[in-house]
Amino acid sequence: MKRYRSRLLLLLCMLGAHSAHAQQELNVVSWDGAYVKSQILGFIRPYEEHANIRVNVLQYTGGIDEIRRQVRAWNVQWDVVDLELFDAIRACNEGLLEHIDPKTLPDAPDGTTAQDDFIPVSLMPCGVGNVVGSTVVSYRQDKFKEPPGRLEDFFDLKKYPGRRGLRRSPQGNLEWALIADGVATEDVYKVLSTEEGLDRAFRVLNRIKPYIEWWRTGEEAVRLLETNAVAMSSAYSGRLDDAVQRGEPLAIVWDHQVWFYDVWAIPKNGRRTEQAMDFVRYATTTQSLAAQARYIPYGPVRQSSMALLEPELRERLPTSRKNLRTAIELNAGWWSENLDRIAPRFERWADRPVMVPRKLPR
Amino acid sequence: MHHATGRECRFWWAGLALLTPLSALAEPSLDELLREVERLKERVEQLERERVRPVPAQELNLGLSISGTERAVEAPVEAKPTAPEVHVGGALRFNFVHRDFVEASDGKRGESGLDVFRLNVEGAIDNILVSAEYRFYSYMHTLHHGWIGYQFDDNSQLQFGVHRVPFGLQPYPAHNAWFGVPYYTGLGDDYDMGIKYQREDGPWQWQLAFYKNEELNDSTSAERYSFDLVRSGDQQNEETNQFNGRGAFTFGLGTGCETETGASLQAGELYNHITGRRGDHWAAAAHLDSRCGRWHVQLSGIRYNYSPANPEGMNNDTVQVGAFAGTYDVASRADVLVANLAYNVPSPWKHIDSITCYNDYSQLFKDDAHSRDSRINTLGCAVGMGPIFTYVDYILANNMAYFAEGSMAQGGDNEWHSRFNVNLGFYW
Repeated sequence: MKRYRSRLLLLLCMLGAHSAHAQQELNVVSWDGAYVKSQILGFIRPYEEHANIRVNVLQYTGGIDEIRRQVRAWNVQWDVVDLELFDAIRACNEGLLEHIDPKTLPDAPDGTTAQDDFIPVSLMPCGVGNVVGSTVVSYRQDKFKEPPGRLEDFFDLKKYPGRRGLRRSPQGNLEWALIADGVATEDVYKVLSTEEGLDRAFRVLNRIKPYIEWWRTGEEAVRLLETNAVAMSSAYSGRLDDAVQRGEPLAIVWDHQVWFYDVWAIPKNGRRTEQAMDFVRYATTTQSLAAQARYIPYGPVRQSSMALLEPELRERLPTSRKNLRTAIELNAGWWSENLDRIAPRFERWADRPVMVPRKLPR
Repeated sequence: MHHATGRECRFWWAGLALLTPLSALAEPSLDELLREVERLKERVEQLERERVRPVPAQELNLGLSISGTERAVEAPVEAKPTAPEVHVGGALRFNFVHRDFVEASDGKRGESGLDVFRLNVEGAIDNILVSAEYRFYSYMHTLHHGWIGYQFDDNSQLQFGVHRVPFGLQPYPAHNAWFGVPYYTGLGDDYDMGIKYQREDGPWQWQLAFYKNEELNDSTSAERYSFDLVRSGDQQNEETNQFNGRGAFTFGLGTGCETETGASLQAGELYNHITGRRGDHWAAAAHLDSRCGRWHVQLSGIRYNYSPANPEGMNNDTVQVGAFAGTYDVASRADVLVANLAYNVPSPWKHIDSITCYNDYSQLFKDDAHSRDSRINTLGCAVGMGPIFTYVDYILANNMAYFAEGSMAQGGDNEWHSRFNVNLGFYW
């Protein structure tokens, strides 16, 4: 019987040890759909096993309002956040994010330092890049006899009739409007910096406004296309690849794709900053970034990760040579300075009805 | 939370330490020990669950979260008590008016006053719907509409009470605040007491209704919002037992250019309180309602016929209608034409949310060859600015009720009269 008692005590000790470890957890905030799936399968699950930690993945739709609220209240529940680069710059300038020393990031397998391995712009004082994403025009293949091939086709309702899906934010939409109106890619931000240029962009968007369906999450954009609610839509290229793999009749127009960086950032005043930093280091290793790219074709920001990808996959990335020909980089620095000025105007513009309301107040 | 569960854990370990010598005395069997292990495992897991529970679920919005290992969210998300989704709103509106046919109005260079103060209740609790509006004017107060409804799973709806009669252009056969001929003949924005079923099947809309009587069940009162036959003097007819059917098909539904075409029928009885007999009335309408980009076109043709059971020798060519605490006569048999055009102007100003400009025209073609037709044309704009909504209308009317000696029945005057009307309201 003594033998049983000793076994029982051993078992209880093991349970106690297990319970002590299971206390640790981390709240990671990211986007939705196929994108967050690629992160979960690419490195979040492996990280949970590696660090014996539970990772709660929360979804959001961008912006820094919630981070500001939490940091200022010293009640930080978001330990790590996947931010668009311009939001990371804004949050960094406001002092809402921890500074991240790039020297603490893991080297590439061949010993190349992180600073040399990362695409330079993707390393910023408060964030570490993870992917190069892309917003593209997509269309249903069963909608048009002659498939659209240029960005201008998105704004051509006569040749390509039907509703259009657009993200409810000015970024990317204003750039496209100007390019469709004949502005050279390299002049877009110069023109947008003037009131006349801004007016011009809104005038172009006015042409299609009655036909616009707004989306806020990448999943919604794909769903608009899948359900035939729109004939064409802007969408994140990686999500479209996922939909095509599922057999949806969608196609991508790479002309003037708008590419951008997403970065990992750590809000200040958190209680798990060290753990968050450990997660960011793990999530941005060569292997993690390459693993993610295998689940969603976005360009990894480490050159060493790119080298691990199969040639066929590299061709599907927004960063492949053929897809980059007319691409435009979302100017994160410009947007970080101008978003607060332009976003209210964009919202007002989007809210105002185009059609005569069915029911005026009586 | 963490400290409390920590203390609880320590309590359990202490308890186990005590348990061991006691069990040694009792020499338990292997099965008992295994059961004890199982029980303790469950208790440790339970404590662990409590310890790993993070912040309250509502704060973390765990409804949007997924665990990396796809474990179930362990924090219980307490259902919020269902708040009744019934909202109270209303409006306060004033008129600034110049009437060229009223000497004092002309002499004072216009007049102004309260138009209406109204309170609205709109909402749903589960599938039960409610909608009501009560209006206070300086000269009367009345129920505008009030009904209780049921929303079926297929989104079709049943309404019971005082609700809008499904006839012709819906919801309004005009853009302006003064409306046009259909409204003043009781064939537009009309509300009666009854039951209505409405459904939409893709581009098709169907509405069927039965009305027992007009909205107040008091046909002697003209203190009402919408025009119905009312009783006074020799005119003792009231509407009863009315059936309505309306069908419409929308071309280009869901696109930036939607065109609705439809037809409506209305038939009912007219009870005469002097003769005790029932006459009848009917009306039919065809309409086209097209919203294409910023343009809006409304066209409608209506035919109506009132056949009252009046006493012998009484003129059956006119019937009396009433609302807004007043009455007037209209032709018993006539055609109505509506042609409205509107354009939604893009607002160049930061604080102006919407500008809708329009020209609404309608005409009453009376069957009596000796009667002059009645016409009304309104040119104006409706401007939205946050909660403030303003109609600026220039109305020209010929032989219309409320305009000098205009008559929608017989005779009348051949002059055109104008009314410049600014209606400014705060809506919430």
